[in-house]
Amino acid sequence: MKLQTIEYYFREVIISMIRNRWMSFASIGTVAVSLFILGVFLIIVMNMGKMASSLESQVQISAYLNDEISKEERADIERMTRDLSAVSKVEYIPKESALKILRERLGDNRKILDALGESNPLPNSFLVTVTSADAVKTTAAAISDLYGVEEVKYGQDVASNLFNLTHLMRFFGVVLTVILSGATIFIIANTIRLTVFARRKEIAIMKYVGATDWFIRIPFILEGIGLGIIGGTLSAIFLRNFYSAMAEKIYTTLAFFPMIEQYPFMNYVTLSLILAGIFVGILGSTVSLKRFLQV
Amino acid sequence: MSNVVTITGVKKLYKMGSEIVAALNGVDLKIDSGEFVALMGPSGSGKSTLMNILGCLDRPTVGSYKLLGKEVSGLSDDELAIIRNKTIGFVFQNFNLLPKLTSLENVALPAVYAGLSSKDRKALALDALKKVSLDDRAEHLPSELSGGQRQRVAIARAIAMKPSIIMADEPTGNLDTKSTLEIMQIFRDLHAAGSTIILVTHEPDIAQTAERQILVKDGKITKDILTAHTDEKIDII
Ligand SMILES: Nc1ncnc2c1ncn2[C@@H]1O[C@H](COP(=O)(O)OP(=O)(O)O)[C@@H](O)[C@H]1O
Ligand SMILES: [Mg+2]
Repeated sequence: MKLQTIEYYFREVIISMIRNRWMSFASIGTVAVSLFILGVFLIIVMNMGKMASSLESQVQISAYLNDEISKEERADIERMTRDLSAVSKVEYIPKESALKILRERLGDNRKILDALGESNPLPNSFLVTVTSADAVKTTAAAISDLYGVEEVKYGQDVASNLFNLTHLMRFFGVVLTVILSGATIFIIANTIRLTVFARRKEIAIMKYVGATDWFIRIPFILEGIGLGIIGGTLSAIFLRNFYSAMAEKIYTTLAFFPMIEQYPFMNYVTLSLILAGIFVGILGSTVSLKRFLQV
Repeated sequence: MSNVVTITGVKKLYKMGSEIVAALNGVDLKIDSGEFVALMGPSGSGKSTLMNILGCLDRPTVGSYKLLGKEVSGLSDDELAIIRNKTIGFVFQNFNLLPKLTSLENVALPAVYAGLSSKDRKALALDALKKVSLDDRAEHLPSELSGGQRQRVAIARAIAMKPSIIMADEPTGNLDTKSTLEIMQIFRDLHAAGSTIILVTHEPDIAQTAERQILVKDGKITKDILTAHTDEKIDII
């Protein structure tokens, strides 16, 4: 296509967006909000996935002890744990240390612990390290059978719950995508319909002098794409700000949470959102042309 | 002379609820190259429907339409668009010019869709504007022209691609007497230069300009006469 033609189309699209400014505004807003919501879902699901797989690769088991047991009983637990074949290290963490670690992890939010006053609800525990991730489950089961061990916790256990949750989130994500795409395509189609209506005389003239259907369709599809790109870009800008704000918050409060690094991750997300915007733009305008242009 | 248009047994049927309306109910028509034909008839008789089919804007429901010897009744939308572009020039009552384009750009429009270079487009458009004596208004917008001048621009656009047929639907319907005479003179000149012209009109005076007059009634051709000698060529009343 020649530069002049591209310029012509570009101008036509802008003129038409200004002429239908309220519908264009509504379309762009719908695209932006929908893609933002989907984007939030996407980054949550992806972060949960990352969290789950990092937990899954963890080789540590926490064994929480009954408060009532004696020192000797505790030493027995430690010895028997150490005797398990896959165990490479056993570290005793008294409840005072546990509270201190928690306090550090909470960072700025540590004040919520002030409500506890002098009491300490955390149990004493052993932090057990095993030689491989494969051995975590059987070792944890063996430890939990020991007298005086109240509960064992390990990453894989949490990971499988997290994976289940991720699946659920993905399912909702798909449902949400279908609903929001439907709404977006509907409103874009209606915006394009206004343009078709405003330009029906011009379209008739183009047909009389022998413009083929594609020649007539192009400006409308470009308008749909334009709405999609603007909406997609806006949603990406919001989402980037949202993510960096969230990252900062999490970094200062839940420093242990392994969030996906902002870059290049958010660049891919941005690209996906803009592509999704283009996609719904094409779909919306095509739907409209099929129904109202009859070309 | 060779046939430009050969229509045989053409019907155009529309479904109106449970009823079927025949806008055209069995039309046979031959038009030779270089003929100047006036299509007449009362409102609702089927003139526009016939024009649309002749102009490849629509297809017959039944029957055959051979344009320049080629069957076109079964062609796709895009194939018909190409035929309109290269073979047919339209002139309408309300000019149908694009208001944002200059005379030259309006006349060059068919050449844009034909994919010609901007140099060739300009040459064709200027040539066509000369034929209607409006080359001095090439850079004017339609809003800066009189009704008669606008219709001359529209005629220039119709002839720019050197089509085999010029179709004009009430081309003088919106014009004063002086402009009407001007426009009809242009059609006469084009006819004298060898163009095939089909003209839809209500006015007998205008129809007199044509060498052949066809009367349409209730979707059928009821009269087909030569103007000059007023003897009836075919009569199927
Ligand atoms: N798209 C259509 N749908 C239904 N009926 C139509 C359609 N187009 C034309 N007709 C009918 O066909 C008949 C002929 O119409 P038309 O060709 O426009 O007549 P004219 O141009 O001579 O006034 C009329 O009765 C009209 O109502
Ligand atoms: Mg009519």
